[in-house]
Formats: sequence, C-alpha cells, structure tokens
Amino acid sequence: MSGGKQILAIIKKDIIAELRTKEMVISMLIFVILAMIIFSQAFNAAEKSLVEFGGGLLWVAFLFTSMLGLNRSFVHEKDEGCLEGLLMSPVDRPLIFFGKMLGNLIFLMVVEVIAIPIFLVLFGLNIGASLIGPFVAAILLGNIGISSVGTLLSTISINTKTRDLMLPILFLPIIIPLLIAAVGATGGIISGDREQLVSAYAAMRFMAVYDIIFLLVAYALYDFVIGE
Amino acid sequence: MIEQIVELEKKEEKKDGPGAVPEIEVKGLSKYFGKRKVLDNISFELKKGGFLSLFGPNGAGKTTLVKIIATLIAPSDGSISVSGLDPAKDSAAIRSKIGLISHNPLLYLDLSAEENLKFYGTMYDVECLDQRIDELLERVELDHRRYDLVRTFSKGMTQRLAIARALLHKPSVLFLDEPHSGLDPHAVDIFEGLLDSIKEDHTFIMITHNIERGIALCSKAMILYNGQIVFYQDKDELDIKMFKSVYRQRVKGDY
Repeated sequence: MSGGKQILAIIKKDIIAELRTKEMVISMLIFVILAMIIFSQAFNAAEKSLVEFGGGLLWVAFLFTSMLGLNRSFVHEKDEGCLEGLLMSPVDRPLIFFGKMLGNLIFLMVVEVIAIPIFLVLFGLNIGASLIGPFVAAILLGNIGISSVGTLLSTISINTKTRDLMLPILFLPIIIPLLIAAVGATGGIISGDREQLVSAYAAMRFMAVYDIIFLLVAYALYDFVIGE
Repeated sequence: MIEQIVELEKKEEKKDGPGAVPEIEVKGLSKYFGKRKVLDNISFELKKGGFLSLFGPNGAGKTTLVKIIATLIAPSDGSISVSGLDPAKDSAAIRSKIGLISHNPLLYLDLSAEENLKFYGTMYDVECLDQRIDELLERVELDHRRYDLVRTFSKGMTQRLAIARALLHKPSVLFLDEPHSGLDPHAVDIFEGLLDSIKEDHTFIMITHNIERGIALCSKAMILYNGQIVFYQDKDELDIKMFKSVYRQRVKGDY
C-alpha cells in the first residue's frame, strides 16, 4: 500500500473540513493578531531593544496560537467515532501521524503568513533581503517541531477527560528546548548582526536535530500512542 | 456435468465442512485493563457465512471482544485468528477484511457523502473507487444526496451511508455494534433489507440488546456477563426458554 496517497487524503480531508467550519484558523488568527497588538502596545515600538525582544515575542505568540489549533486537531476525528473508523482501516499508524502533523503544519503556516507581516509593521522591524531565506527557514524549523510534538501529544490528550489542560501540561516542558533555540535563531536573524547570525545558525542546526529526533520518536511510538 | 457437481460439492465441503478453517477463531482469550479482568477465557469459532449475535449488559466486555478481533486492542492472553490470519503478524490484512457498522456512523459531518466515501476508499486503497462509490450510493438510495454534507442527513440516512462506508472495501467480516440504535422503523426496514442482501457472502458478529432481531438474524447466540460466556448455542439447537431465562437473570437484573 502506498503511503503518500493516504497522507494526502488525510491532509485534504482536514483542509476541506476547515474551509467549511473555519473554526481552527480563524480563532488562531484572531489570537495571534491580538497578542501582537498587545505586545506592540506594551513595549514601546520605537525602542531599539525591540530587536532583542522580537524573536521571543514572536514565538510566544506562535506557541500559544499553535496550541489552539492542536487542541482542535483531533476533535473532528473523535466526533462520531471517526478515529475508530480511521484505526479500523489497514493504513499504517505512522501515516496517520504524518497526515495529521502536516495538516497542523499547514494551518500554522497559513496563520503565520498573515501574522508575520503584521508583526514586522507593528514592531517597525526590517529584515534584509539576504536574511529572508534564513528567517523563513528558522520559522519552518520551529513549526515542524511544534507540529510534530504537538500532534503526538494531542493524540495522547484527546483520550483524556481534561484534554484542554492535558496538552499544555505535556507540550510546554517538551517544547522548551526548541523554543529557546527558535527565539535565539529568529532574534539573531532580525538583528542582522554578524556575530549573532553565527549563533542563530547554530540554533537552527539544533532545531533541525530536534525536529528529526521527534519525527523519529513519533514514527516509532505512534502505533502505541494511538492504540490502547 | 456430474464431475463438475462433485467438484463443486468438494469445494463447498472444504469451505464450510468440518475441516474448513473457521473465519473467526477465538481461543482462551482474556483481557485485563490494569488489574480489572474485562474478558475471561473466551473461546468460540465462527464459520464463513456465520452470524453471531452477542448479548450482554453494559460493561460485559462485548465491545472489547469485538475490538480485539478487529486488532484495535491486543489481548492479554489467548489467541485469535481471522481467515486464518494472526493479528500479531497480519493486523493490516485482518483490518482490510473487516467492516464495522456501529451506532456511531464513523463519518465526518463536515464532508459530503461522496467525500466521506472517497476518503475511506483511499484509506482502504479500494480499486475503481469512483465506480464502487456510485454502486454503493445507489444501493443505499443516497445517490441523489451524494454532494450534501453528512451534517444535513437524518439519522436513518447517516446510518445507510455508514453501511456504504463499511461495505466499500468488500469486507468478508462485518461487525455490527448496536446498529439499530436510534433508527426509525422505516430506516430499520431498509437496513435489514440491505443486511439480507449481503448476508450470504459475509460473516457477522452483532452486538445487540434487541432479542427478537438478534435471534432472528443469527446462526449462533452468545451472552457475555462479567467478561465470561454464560450462554452459547447454535440457533438450530437454541433453547429459547433457557436463553431468555439466562438473559433475564444476567442482563435485565443489571439494568
């Protein structure tokens, strides 16, 4: 059985359902824009120190935004017993993980494509043309980590009674190393300083390793996690 | 001609006779959740084309038994086989032989009937999927609603679509988990008509609380209580008085 077809079917199904309900992306978008407006008001946007805080503020907003989406990502599967229907099919469990994870990644990126320009305008930040590539790469690496860890843990939390509480309890401690690296990487790139850029690239290498480890962990454990 | 008939009879004997591999075989099956024993030493066989009606109070272990046979849960002890396949080695092959019709429709409410069937068809890697979807939607009399969201369907229509979903990959074994639950009499008639039309080619296990329907449809009846088999008989030898007495004692007493 070819896995790509099944992964694409899961992504397509999630996107069609989201386009009809709009409940996940709209709530994520409202949250992230509100967070950025509040941050920009709380910090004086004209201050130079914003270059230092920029990366941190961006990832705090993205992290909590992603949790809104992750909490909802398995709700449709749980409704009307669809998860059971999916598990009854002969498709390999890791393919279900990759389908759900890529769906979550797409929703997060759609929100960020709108939120990042707003962030740059509100904070008066400017990223040089040569640094746009590394900036996008840092955001992408952070998103892959958030989506892979988040999808794995939201699968666990969906079967608990207190799933809205359970996901942050499980998710935040595990995501902290990635978050610290992501803040360092984006902060360094936003500053444009050569010395900080070197440490930003080192942070990005750490993020890539983190992503690979958690994708492999999810691949190995998903059968067990989604089973009993 | 006579040789052909003898050959056919031999084939039938091989399929259903005493030496035939049972479609479902359960031996000494037990299941623990933590320290709680949910199933205790369950053993039975079901031949191809057989229909087992499974009765029992809530919490008797009926759904757990079906989930173990469907390879969704691993047993703590004992063994099962479906079409001679071992779930430890061939779980995907077993799942591709099984269809489930539950009181939950297992359908995505925000997708249309056709989108739901296309999604599940892809999951099962069904060949000539569009043709199969056309055929099934016509059979469950929903071809005129194929582009409508499942959210807009009545309970009966949703259940008919759930039947189409369960038959999409041409399973040889069908699990029915309280399929009549919430259906109006007209929907029950349509459902049972569909069931009749596929009865010969499939092996069934039906979980039900409805004695009349369960007994009418079955070839074997079983009552589970506290994870143990307290009644198990072929329909041909079924002592209905004894069945009802055990049922009243074990099941109704628990309500």
